[in-house]
Amino acid sequence: MISVNVTKGYDLAISGKPSSKLKILKKPDRVAFLPERIPFIIPRLLVKVDDPVKIGSVLFEDKQNTDLKFLSPGSGRVSEINFGPRRVIREIVIELEKQEQYADFRKMTDLEIRTLEKESLIKILMQGGVWPLIRELPFRGIADPKIQPESIWVALGNQEPFQPFPEVYLKGREALFSFGLKILKRFGVPVNVSAPDHLRLQGYDIMITHRVRGHYPAHDPGVILYKTKKSAAENIGWYITGQDLLAIASLMKNGHYPIERIAVMAGSRAQNSGHYQTRVGVPVADMIPGLSSDESCFAGGLLTGYEVNSTSFMGLYETALTCIPKGDQRELFGFLRPGFGKPSFSRTFLSRFRKKPFDMDSGMHGEQRACVNCGSCTKICPVDILPQYTIKCLGADAIEEALAHGLLDCVECGLCSYVCPSKIEIRETLQKARYEYHKEQR
Amino acid sequence: MKIIQTIFDSQRKHFEGSGKLRVLKPLFEATETFFLFPGITAGSGPFVRDSLDLKRFMSFVILALMPPFLFGIYNTGLQSCRVSGLPVDPISVITQGLWIVMPLVMVSYGVGFFWELLFASIRKHPISEGFLVTGLLFPMTLPPAIPLWQVAVGISFGVVIGKEVFGGTGRNIFNPALVGRAFLFFAYPTKMSGDAVWVAVIDPVRKAADAISGATPLACPVSSETGETVVMALEKAGYTLSRLFWGLYPGSIGGTSAFYCLIGAVILILVGVASYRIILGGILGLLGTGLVLNIVAGSSANAWLALPPVYHLIMGGFAFGIVYMATDPVSAPGMENVKWVYGFLIGALTVLIRVFNPAYPEGVMMAILFMNIFSPLLDYIEIGLRLKKRISNV
Ligand code: SF4
Ligand code: SF4
Repeated sequence: MISVNVTKGYDLAISGKPSSKLKILKKPDRVAFLPERIPFIIPRLLVKVDDPVKIGSVLFEDKQNTDLKFLSPGSGRVSEINFGPRRVIREIVIELEKQEQYADFRKMTDLEIRTLEKESLIKILMQGGVWPLIRELPFRGIADPKIQPESIWVALGNQEPFQPFPEVYLKGREALFSFGLKILKRFGVPVNVSAPDHLRLQGYDIMITHRVRGHYPAHDPGVILYKTKKSAAENIGWYITGQDLLAIASLMKNGHYPIERIAVMAGSRAQNSGHYQTRVGVPVADMIPGLSSDESCFAGGLLTGYEVNSTSFMGLYETALTCIPKGDQRELFGFLRPGFGKPSFSRTFLSRFRKKPFDMDSGMHGEQRACVNCGSCTKICPVDILPQYTIKCLGADAIEEALAHGLLDCVECGLCSYVCPSKIEIRETLQKARYEYHKEQR
Repeated sequence: MKIIQTIFDSQRKHFEGSGKLRVLKPLFEATETFFLFPGITAGSGPFVRDSLDLKRFMSFVILALMPPFLFGIYNTGLQSCRVSGLPVDPISVITQGLWIVMPLVMVSYGVGFFWELLFASIRKHPISEGFLVTGLLFPMTLPPAIPLWQVAVGISFGVVIGKEVFGGTGRNIFNPALVGRAFLFFAYPTKMSGDAVWVAVIDPVRKAADAISGATPLACPVSSETGETVVMALEKAGYTLSRLFWGLYPGSIGGTSAFYCLIGAVILILVGVASYRIILGGILGLLGTGLVLNIVAGSSANAWLALPPVYHLIMGGFAFGIVYMATDPVSAPGMENVKWVYGFLIGALTVLIRVFNPAYPEGVMMAILFMNIFSPLLDYIEIGLRLKKRISNV
């Protein structure tokens, strides 16, 4: 086992941590698939409103690779297809029937897996709709089956506020997990399993290859790869979360498109915080009944996720919903206060001496200004990018220089934007640049 | 809180869209956000943000400037009362000090603010908080007897040429306050150096500021024929080490006391607003260079070579310059290791200029401006070294 120590990064002292108790969410009336939230694809719809679908029927495919199918997370009738600006498909809503039906996929035994060829495995995973769960580094989109990775990373644990705890979603499923690892091994490259160094889970210890210590985002596969790579060839890697690996394993074991997920409901304003046994595409309103106007809700974590309202649905990748106070309150002489209750990476508030977590809101806490070269973003970046200089390169269109700074090592963790006193959207700038560069590359 | 909000809300219409005062929008915004911290929510991830913003960042610089500033008022008053033969009880000294210093500060802020507002309106930018620092730093580097119109000219030059022509805050190469100071130094040398400017006397009848003689330590005449050392000459003029340290002697408004600058340095370093690397690097550079010069001094005719380095540390504006000017993050390097080099060279150059070029007794000012030019190069070097170690990913 390899120990990885990540020295930079930062853990937000934020209140609203979920309990690890697992509850069951009632069956929803509708579920949805959100093509908009899947990076880099160009969807071609294969259903229309009112079409009947089963769990695992094809909803749409990627125009760039028509083998890449996206399947229905529910059985019933397509009730709405909603478009956003520029005709992006925002959501495909399915009204569920009482007795849901499953489309059939091939079941496989351990023995059959052992002799499976890589090409047929790819085909099975694509047809089974689980290929999108495997993503690639450095661009973090869906893995490209034509490019052979150097390694595959299964990431357990994520310290972003807030994500499901691995001890909750892994508990008692070690057989399925190890079946999943056997599947991944068929790609013929090293399969690494990274876990927090304190995680002790019966049955899993022997499967874990990397023990990681450090602050958020130490457990991001991009960070671990950055810390462990020895040469530029290792930059291309695939990764998958522990929960998604269980989904792949479940498809091959049971022959059903896997829709079960364990999602977390957290944040200081979450009324029924905790872990929930639920499924892909549940309505947000089912998880948080009655979102009030002074609260904001985010899917997929507070740093890397996106804002949702009570009419949205959970996406394919998102297994976290966080509710915090809306930060739109003005404050008299806000910048002159001693700030015992104001969290900060800097030492400019009395909160420095506070141990308790903070009830953080969604406010900017300041206005955008020019960069003053304070160096905080560089100090916090887990993969040693120099964000303050990199954004200047990008502003001057010097993409080569930005790449040399490590633009592609960026894991889009958002700490740089979090910490910037000039409130510059560094993460967004870098993310856009990475996106553009990837599009040019293809 | 409600009342203030109502006042701003009712006036906003004049400053927006086609309102009569729309050119003053940046002024309105700056005033409003001073009173009412804006409640903007994060538009893109991350959706939680640190509580620190630039207003608070700059407030700490102002706070750290308070010890030398308040002391400067007292000292200016004291020197003035002494030479004018006025009583030196605290009340009259402070009144006298305020009477001399406040007009300079007000002119600096007023005129500087005019330029800020002008450029902010043209560029449709918000007014940057950095100016609150520049507007106070600048008068603190001036001799108290300076005419007000020169303060106005100096701050104008500092803001316009030192900052705005480069594209405004964040893009300036030089520290704007120092640019203004240097401009005055070269444009009006008689008002900025020599013996005649360092004490302001207010003629009680005409109420006009005027100056009388009072040699500053850096301009202290040393007669080398008699084998006199600088230390002896300084002591003859009444400048003992402790007096230089505490700062009760004629000089620029904020720069005479090493002690009060030290308090400021402690504040800045504790809250992490100024880089300790630059400050410590500067002190090391100054002491180191001073020592080397002591060694080579021998029987050289330049008595300043033999001056114990600790004098350099507490004399003149070095303490003020290295704590408040050299640490300006925009004009200093951003990379951590070269900050040591940057500070060190400022310290070294300060001594060299003081010793070898007595025409510029305020060596620290020239040293910082000179090193400002090199900060991008220093950054470039450190970034280059760092990138070499990186496993490339393209
Ligand atoms: S550049 Fe910003 S978003 Fe990217 S890894 Fe560094 S801190 Fe995270
Ligand atoms: S944190 Fe913001 S202000 Fe500070 S160096 Fe980075 S980009 Fe500039």
